[in-house]
Amino acid sequence: MAGRAAAVTLRRVGYQGEIVLVGDETTPPYDRPPLSKSVIVGTADLDKVIKPALETYAEDGIDLRLGVAVTAADATARTATLSDGAEVAWDALVIATGCAPREVPIPGLDKPGVFRITRMDEALAIQAVLASGPKRLAIIGGGFIGMEAATAAVAHGHTATVIEAAPEPMARPLGLAVAEHVLRWATDRGVEVLAGVGVEEVLGDDRASGVKLANGEIIDADLVICAIGQVPRLGLAQLLGCAEEAGGVRVDASMQTSVEGVYAVGDIAAFPSKWADEDRIRIEHAAVAIGHGQTAAEHIATGEGLFEDLPSFWSDQGDITLNMVGVARPEDEIVWRGDRDLPACTAFYLRDGVLRAAMSVGDMKTLRGVRKLFAAGVSPSADQLADPDVDLAALAAAG
Amino acid sequence: MAQVSIGSLSDFPEGTPTFAEADGTRLCIVRVGDTVHAICDDCPHAEASLSEGDFIAEDMAVECPLHGSAFNLESGDPDAPPATEAVQVFPVTIDGDDVLVEV
Repeated sequence: MAGRAAAVTLRRVGYQGEIVLVGDETTPPYDRPPLSKSVIVGTADLDKVIKPALETYAEDGIDLRLGVAVTAADATARTATLSDGAEVAWDALVIATGCAPREVPIPGLDKPGVFRITRMDEALAIQAVLASGPKRLAIIGGGFIGMEAATAAVAHGHTATVIEAAPEPMARPLGLAVAEHVLRWATDRGVEVLAGVGVEEVLGDDRASGVKLANGEIIDADLVICAIGQVPRLGLAQLLGCAEEAGGVRVDASMQTSVEGVYAVGDIAAFPSKWADEDRIRIEHAAVAIGHGQTAAEHIATGEGLFEDLPSFWSDQGDITLNMVGVARPEDEIVWRGDRDLPACTAFYLRDGVLRAAMSVGDMKTLRGVRKLFAAGVSPSADQLADPDVDLAALAAAG
Repeated sequence: MAQVSIGSLSDFPEGTPTFAEADGTRLCIVRVGDTVHAICDDCPHAEASLSEGDFIAEDMAVECPLHGSAFNLESGDPDAPPATEAVQVFPVTIDGDDVLVEV
């Protein structure tokens, strides 16, 4: 997604040079967020997910090379070698290799009937199974992807059991006090969540028939989805000698790495952000990835362009959509506005009494107000945040 | 391009995004005073109907009900992620009481 954004933006800002976009999947570039949501349950319009249309690349003069990977690269000669043997010379190189699924030592994950959801072909394989009637899903991993898949499946007549080894699913990105409500909203909608217990093995002879938990319990299933996280793919950046930080590739605000002319964008980029306390942060979310790609393109084409966006992400969980802005930490103080039994509420994250992030369900007006507060550099009191009659946009405007 | 009637002014309450269809094109219509705006109803980001969202008067924009990007009624541009592409804006003419959209 970040690579596609870079290529498309280069043309949009008037870059005249040659553009080669290389991807190791055979599917043209697509939006990844729908994979764990509408794609697996078959409600996605793939023409809107796989975009832009293939002919757009030809029209824009973007040389799209699908199904090939970069196998070697030289930062001095400024060349890259592709897996099909082709050699590409470059003036600027944008690395947008994203993440690979985390390897886990659970026996039986290689059985037919076990799926991951990191790529389009995998999501379509799940869709093909779910299309034949109600199924029982065992989902290993209670992060956003696992919970999204579970809530989407349950909303479409399937049953889903989520197994999370950590005692508090989603506590790291959302904080415990918020995570427990998000979890409750999912279980209220029929998702079964087993937390604090690991999976010992995937059962089944020819095909996965369920999972055995560490406590001996057996969960029968028609299909098993493994959603236990991902790790940045740093191989190409390492070949080029790019400095690393925070588990990713260190970049400056223009997304350029320690190697001149080499940029890193999306999941792999450890970037500076005025919205975070850390020197560099990595964020594995779509809106940030696209912003990175756009910034790198602007910098390549014009020598200007800084990534300063307020980080944001969303997670569709069945009929509920979580929308988050800012950079939250698990230890932040939480102030609520609205009804935690829904339809609408917002959790504000405060650090040292200062508003740092907000997660909202069903209340766009409040979230819009939060964006304006951040833009204006205004942090209201906890009492003001909690009071639904206080108009946050008006507070921002008042300064 | 053809001018298609989508109804009369009274069909579009002030400041309330309203769905309309013109020759098969799905539109989100917002009347602001004597002016009527027409943008594509489909959010370019995910599958959502903009006419189910709110009108943000101070930004002259319609906010997507799903993920909150607000699209300017004059430029079509989103103000914030997750949407990154503009929606199409359609010219509107008012003929007496009749609202005509060029699609």
